[in-house]
Amino acid sequence: MPVWLREYSWRQTGSAVYLSLPLRGVRVTPANIFCADQYLKVSIPPFLFEAILYAPIDDTNSTAKVGNGIIFFTLYKKEVAMWDSLTLATANKEKLQYLRENAVLKAHEKAKEETKAKKVTKQEHKKYALEATMKLEEAERKRIEDLKEKERQKVTKELALWKKQQKDAEKQKRVQKEGELHQEVEQLKEKKKEKMNKTRIPNEETSETRLKPTKGCHGSYSMFSENLKEEQLPAPRSAATIKINFTSRVFPTALRESRIAEEEEWLRKQAEARRTVSADLSEVEDLKEEEKNPDWLKDKGNKMFATGNYLAAVNAYNLAVRLNNKLPLLYLNRAACHLKLRNLHKAIEDSSKALELLTPPVPHNEHARVKAYVRRGTAFCQLELYAEGLQDYEAALKIDPKNKTIEKDAEKIRHLIRGTMQDS
Amino acid sequence: MSSGGPERPQLVAHVQQALNYTLFDCKWVPRSARLLCLGSAARGTGLLQLYELRGGRLALLREIEKAKPIKCGTFGATSLQQRYLATGDFGGNLNIWNLEAPEIPVYSVKGHKEIINSIDGVGGLGIGEGAPEIVTGSRDGTVKVWDPRQKDTPVANMEPVQGESKRDCWTVAFGNAYNQEERVVCAGYDNGDIKLFDLKTMSLRWETNIKNGVCSVEFDRKDVNMNKLVATSLEGKFHVFDMRTQHPTKGFASVSEKAQKSTIWQVRHLPQNRDIFMTSGGAGSLHLWKYEYPAQRSKKDSEGAEMGVAGSVSLLQNVTLSTQPISSLDWSPDKKGLCVCGAFDQTVRVLIVTKLNKV
Repeated sequence: MPVWLREYSWRQTGSAVYLSLPLRGVRVTPANIFCADQYLKVSIPPFLFEAILYAPIDDTNSTAKVGNGIIFFTLYKKEVAMWDSLTLATANKEKLQYLRENAVLKAHEKAKEETKAKKVTKQEHKKYALEATMKLEEAERKRIEDLKEKERQKVTKELALWKKQQKDAEKQKRVQKEGELHQEVEQLKEKKKEKMNKTRIPNEETSETRLKPTKGCHGSYSMFSENLKEEQLPAPRSAATIKINFTSRVFPTALRESRIAEEEEWLRKQAEARRTVSADLSEVEDLKEEEKNPDWLKDKGNKMFATGNYLAAVNAYNLAVRLNNKLPLLYLNRAACHLKLRNLHKAIEDSSKALELLTPPVPHNEHARVKAYVRRGTAFCQLELYAEGLQDYEAALKIDPKNKTIEKDAEKIRHLIRGTMQDS
Repeated sequence: MSSGGPERPQLVAHVQQALNYTLFDCKWVPRSARLLCLGSAARGTGLLQLYELRGGRLALLREIEKAKPIKCGTFGATSLQQRYLATGDFGGNLNIWNLEAPEIPVYSVKGHKEIINSIDGVGGLGIGEGAPEIVTGSRDGTVKVWDPRQKDTPVANMEPVQGESKRDCWTVAFGNAYNQEERVVCAGYDNGDIKLFDLKTMSLRWETNIKNGVCSVEFDRKDVNMNKLVATSLEGKFHVFDMRTQHPTKGFASVSEKAQKSTIWQVRHLPQNRDIFMTSGGAGSLHLWKYEYPAQRSKKDSEGAEMGVAGSVSLLQNVTLSTQPISSLDWSPDKKGLCVCGAFDQTVRVLIVTKLNKV
């Protein structure tokens, strides 16, 4: 049960009511005071003060001053009138209840409205601030644009002036030239007159020749000066060639730093793919790292072929083939070795195998295919199977029609065939 | 975008002209307010257009159509009176045209087997001494020097050794032409090689590799003892080499700058001030740079050989004009700060760079 506070004192004027409510020993905060337009409540548990006012008041403007153990209310009446008493005399509990609830509802609504109003004002403030900043930025931009415009105009004027100057300069030059030419012509005319007065016939000749330079009129002045200048120019350089080497690059595209990593990766994978396609681990175990690389073995083979050590070259190629039997170049080179060793059947076998691997026939492996055909053809011819040999030479010629050696050899074989046919 | 600051040079876009063909090169006609646009029409023929700067616009004076698209051109090897244009086209032909009578070329040769990517001329326009010569660099990997007085054969040919796979030559430039005998040609290739050929001794004087395809090389002046060389490349980098001191093994000292995220297509030095140059980028931007020399341009290394010291480069201004690469750039030799640039968005723009006197 709350403790009702009944000790209060009040006085009024026409438009306001002054209520003072003593509170001993309790701390009052604004939360404890509740005021609606006809209802006033101060609730500080366990104390309670409640008043249903005689007439409605303007609760937004009314104030409550808290201090010194007393609350002093200044309530502004809605209607200017004198109240008979502070509170309405109502004994009815229900009515009281109803009034209380009403008051609370009203207060709620007011609170809602207030928050709404606050929101709206906040929005407006934000908008205003935004517009203000936009205006400022616009102004700044405009300022910069104006500066640029000014520069542009200044510069356009300067340009126009410069052009005018140029034109004037050209005109002047032309006038000058003409003036000078005139002078020359005048001078020559005078000289002519003088000399004519002295003698006749020889003079006409000389005067004619002298008039010729002036006939080439406009260009003459400049022509002379140009002739002089041309004589000063050195003769064209004697032709020479400088041979250059490029930093090697596998890819046909331009070099980019950002792509170097990717390219290295690709190349590495390609190299690895070629290394051990068909390797049998037991055989391969006791080989050194290098010797497992068919490319390295191929290079070794090539070197030995170059030095003339054909058997060793064949060995190298054999090992390489065991590691990777899909590389046509290995068979091709081995065929060359066999030719030198006069193992003609083996040479034919290897060239055939190489040609098999060199399908599809594309321009890329043209060179290799020509070599394969030529080697097989040579082997056939050395076995005296000239017809087959000629077939191969002609195939080689079809791929590379410009090769003179192949043509000559094909011719020789044809002769040989005709020769044997004649004999038999 | 261009930054403020009252003393910095501003890049002011003066005139813009939309074209209906692909523009590969644009050049000022010396001693005039006229400029030349070279390119390729949609039907696969070459176009030459001569414009004049009038008021705030470009007026078309002449349009000349040729059989093959034209890639590059230069006035560098003609006299001021003649002003003949030397062009390289997609078919590998070098032609020299008299613009007054362009039906028949004054000089013509099928110099290369593939497109001529770049051309430069020296000895003309009253600049420098010595014979007028034109150098062309082509996709067939060769660099050839021509004399307009000698028909059909080049006076110098820089070609790969037999059996060497060729790399595209993307750019060439003349330099060191300070007297009648001396001359060098610098060539940049797509595999990042830069080679310096000495034409007096007919030998390779220096080579290096800058790890990115070289798009453009230029000496700061063609007609002085070679001072600086700027080489621009893919991936937004450019290198400035100090060419006064060559070390026997290390070559020339350089400073490099990574400026733009994309390819730097061209570099051009201001004719009136050799320490200022402009680079044009693949993102349609132009950057204006200034080179500052170091306190000492050369020093001795541990073995006592002279070694160059590179200076530093600072950005003065930049502007983005287009979304497409700006592939060609040319300063006017007559008016300081006037330049023309052509981009792959089929527009030619004339710009004025202000406050260059205060730099």
